[in-house]
Amino acid sequence: MAARRLKTWSALGQLGRLPGEYEIVTHALNYTTRPGRPSALASNPTTPANMWLLTYRDSSPLQAGDWLGFRDPDRLTYRAYVTMQDQQETVVAGVLDEYGPARHDASLPSWWLEVLAALFTPTRFPVHALQMTSAYLGYLAPSSYITNCAVFGTGDLLRRVSLVAYRTRQLAEATDSAIGRTERARWQQDEAWQPARQALEKLLTAYDWGECFTAMNLVLRPTLDQILLHELAEAARDSGDELTWLLLSNLAADAARGIRWSTALARYAIEQRPENRDVLRRWADRWAPRAEAAAAGLGQLLSGVRPAGAAERAANSARHEVLDRAGLA
Amino acid sequence: MARLPREEWYDIARDVDWDLSYVDYDEVFPEWMSGTGKVPREAWAEWDEPYKVTYPEYVATQREKETGAYSVKAVLRKSRVFDQLDEGWKSVAKQHFGAVALVEDLAAYAELRMARFGLAPAWRNMAVFGALDETRHAQISLYFPHELLGRDPQYDWAHKAYHTSQWTVAAARATFDGMMMNPNVVDVAVQLPFTFETGFTNVQFVALAADALESGDINFANMISSIQTDEARHSQQGGPTLKILVEHDPRRAQWVIDKTFWVSARLFSVLTGPAMDYYTPLAMRKQSFKEFMLEWVAGQFADQLQDYGLKKPWYWDEFLAGLDTWHHGLHLGVWYWRPTVWWNPQGGVSPAERDWLREKYPDWEDRFGPIWDVIIGNINAGQAGLTLPATLPWLCSLCQLPVGTAGSPGNQRYPVRSYPLSYDGRTYHFCSRPCRQIWWEDRDTLHSPTVVDRVLAGEVQPPTVEGLLTWMGLTPEVRGTDAYGYRWARAYPPGDPGPAGDAGPAGDAGPAVTEPSNGGRPVPVNALFAGDFVTQLVTLQDTDTVDQAASRIAAQVVGRRVRSREAGLVVRLGGRVLPGELTVAAAGIGPLDSVDVSWDAGRVGER
Repeated sequence: MAARRLKTWSALGQLGRLPGEYEIVTHALNYTTRPGRPSALASNPTTPANMWLLTYRDSSPLQAGDWLGFRDPDRLTYRAYVTMQDQQETVVAGVLDEYGPARHDASLPSWWLEVLAALFTPTRFPVHALQMTSAYLGYLAPSSYITNCAVFGTGDLLRRVSLVAYRTRQLAEATDSAIGRTERARWQQDEAWQPARQALEKLLTAYDWGECFTAMNLVLRPTLDQILLHELAEAARDSGDELTWLLLSNLAADAARGIRWSTALARYAIEQRPENRDVLRRWADRWAPRAEAAAAGLGQLLSGVRPAGAAERAANSARHEVLDRAGLA
Repeated sequence: MARLPREEWYDIARDVDWDLSYVDYDEVFPEWMSGTGKVPREAWAEWDEPYKVTYPEYVATQREKETGAYSVKAVLRKSRVFDQLDEGWKSVAKQHFGAVALVEDLAAYAELRMARFGLAPAWRNMAVFGALDETRHAQISLYFPHELLGRDPQYDWAHKAYHTSQWTVAAARATFDGMMMNPNVVDVAVQLPFTFETGFTNVQFVALAADALESGDINFANMISSIQTDEARHSQQGGPTLKILVEHDPRRAQWVIDKTFWVSARLFSVLTGPAMDYYTPLAMRKQSFKEFMLEWVAGQFADQLQDYGLKKPWYWDEFLAGLDTWHHGLHLGVWYWRPTVWWNPQGGVSPAERDWLREKYPDWEDRFGPIWDVIIGNINAGQAGLTLPATLPWLCSLCQLPVGTAGSPGNQRYPVRSYPLSYDGRTYHFCSRPCRQIWWEDRDTLHSPTVVDRVLAGEVQPPTVEGLLTWMGLTPEVRGTDAYGYRWARAYPPGDPGPAGDAGPAGDAGPAVTEPSNGGRPVPVNALFAGDFVTQLVTLQDTDTVDQAASRIAAQVVGRRVRSREAGLVVRLGGRVLPGELTVAAAGIGPLDSVDVSWDAGRVGER
């Protein structure tokens, strides 16, 4: 035992500094990506699962010399995540208590309830689609640093579906509106929702991990969330529905964190290999028209409460801003 | 204003399926991944988790658990608890961390797969919590050992193990990839949460938590008890999936459970069995491995199968009989091949420990006592070198554990032997009939080369024990040694057990796993010497006489694990005695054949 005393994992030894808790518990966890492996999984290399990982992860057009160099700008660990989100849920509980939803909801005008029925309560469907896709991204990501961002992001989306479900029930009870009865029909049949639904259904089949990441985190989510979280929140505040404004603003912090790591990952990928800029751009270009169509559709649902075309424009510029931050302007 | 009770809104959050319009259902839920098989798509709408939890409840509970676990750790950090821990117990912890930490992360991918491809939204939501849980388990299982790195480099393997080709890791990887990553998610739910987590992790976590507490390792006990509370929740994804599968395709359900239970039982016998019955200090043992397995695994699991209308697996009697032998053979194997592991196995056969083993396992002495006596004799005669390996045990092509360890010496029903299978022009060796049968049925997915296969393929250079250790990533400072520095063996009276005698006809077994050919062509065989507990890779030369071949094989065993005798040797191939003067080639011994060597009292003078 005369060997040098280890200060950290031998796999982190070349860092040149002492790692913090985040790196200790996040570094190189996915052994199916280890160098020198005969195949991702210790099974016949041609099993469907091995072929899937080979095709959609290991042979993705998005390549880097070392994915283990990427760091989440928020450096989230599990315990930091649950601590933070428990605090946020406590905030949400406080807001719900303060507004005494029964009274608050009953005071909302019917024209505004119709906006919520059209654009807020149906979101449990699209957000579930994002939750599924985010889980997929976590599974297919080429490093545990990326996976963990996606895992916490998936948790955020379940949080969002949960809060929407909770409010759906409250609003259905307190008001005499369509809420609680029409969400699936609107999502499936309302013309305004169809471009978004089409984009999200297609997203579910974007199996290349790089395309999945680009389409969801750099293109669709910035666009959709601008309307579903920000524009709707502003409209809510303007319409006297402070509760919806506060709740959506709280959820928007999760979305902002998602954008922080996603833009950092895109920049990291480009730094690792300049050709990645074109790879990412091609995907961004492929998905942008779908995002634009979705924004145009959803924007209509805010036409009574926002200036004409404002929500759509804001959504598209939010996407441009994210692409800019991602180094893809 | 009080918050809405969970049941008022919970169903809305899991009522999120819709009819796809712009892509095909099969494209979103491909059979490869989703695996509905004979189950009609609409049947999955019945999926209902028995344990309901909401996101706010989840983060509140988990935050509390994390605060608890990490504050215990912070308090203990300044204490001297770790320094006072028994070396045998530390090996339990080191082995556990290495075998488990990155598998917890793998389980996160399995949960993410279910969160994406699961066929019911309620299932997908539960799997999100599952993925978060497994992320937690990976992180806590790394953070706790990390602070011990400066004291002992073997803790580095908490992180490193699964990045290597070390043999127990290769076995675990084959098992876990086959359970979590390779199958479709219906099979994953039946294999991972139902069979493995419900069936087995109770043993690993509940039993080890009890032993840890007894051993004074409060930190470890605290950590794994905390993990177990999560497992108890997310393992419940298995039940609802199984219920639907059984209704529509009971044969598939039975098969998936049967094969998973078997390989899990084999793996637990190398990971948990030795930890409980040999490494945990005698005074701290709560129950034997067998008692735990009978209570927590065999009893409860068999009851559960019945509840679902399923049968006990076809090999049930063999599994139960194995509780008396498997882990003893595997412990012996790990101890003898100790430089190949990242922990220090505790021999655990002092006179007092031996009394305990005899009490818990009445056949132990007959089956394993003679081998341990040879080992003890060598240690006490200053010949510890003879208790170290010069070749490899042959590894089963399914469970990747040493062939022989699914039986035991002196065991009529389950003897030490290989169960070979010729397929596609080569011979595969298995430790048992169930391993052979499972491989045969699922060979297209489950087949994965063992460390022995990779040695034979020339991947290990030089093909020596040293070369192999380096290839497996075992740097000199982490290679296992006896945890007590053989103190347990020295507790025997001088000369009892006596020396093992001549260290075999060839004396020195030589350094090479596959010895370079000296004129002839190498013929690697799977060799068993009568009375030994494993079969081994021994490389003969086709120009050797059968007698020379017998000596090469005996050199790996006689005086090492089997006492020398005044007798000659006889070689059998497929039960047929081979004339000693024939060459290996002329006698028909080919590569990968099973070759048996035993004593022949009639040939004393010929040696």
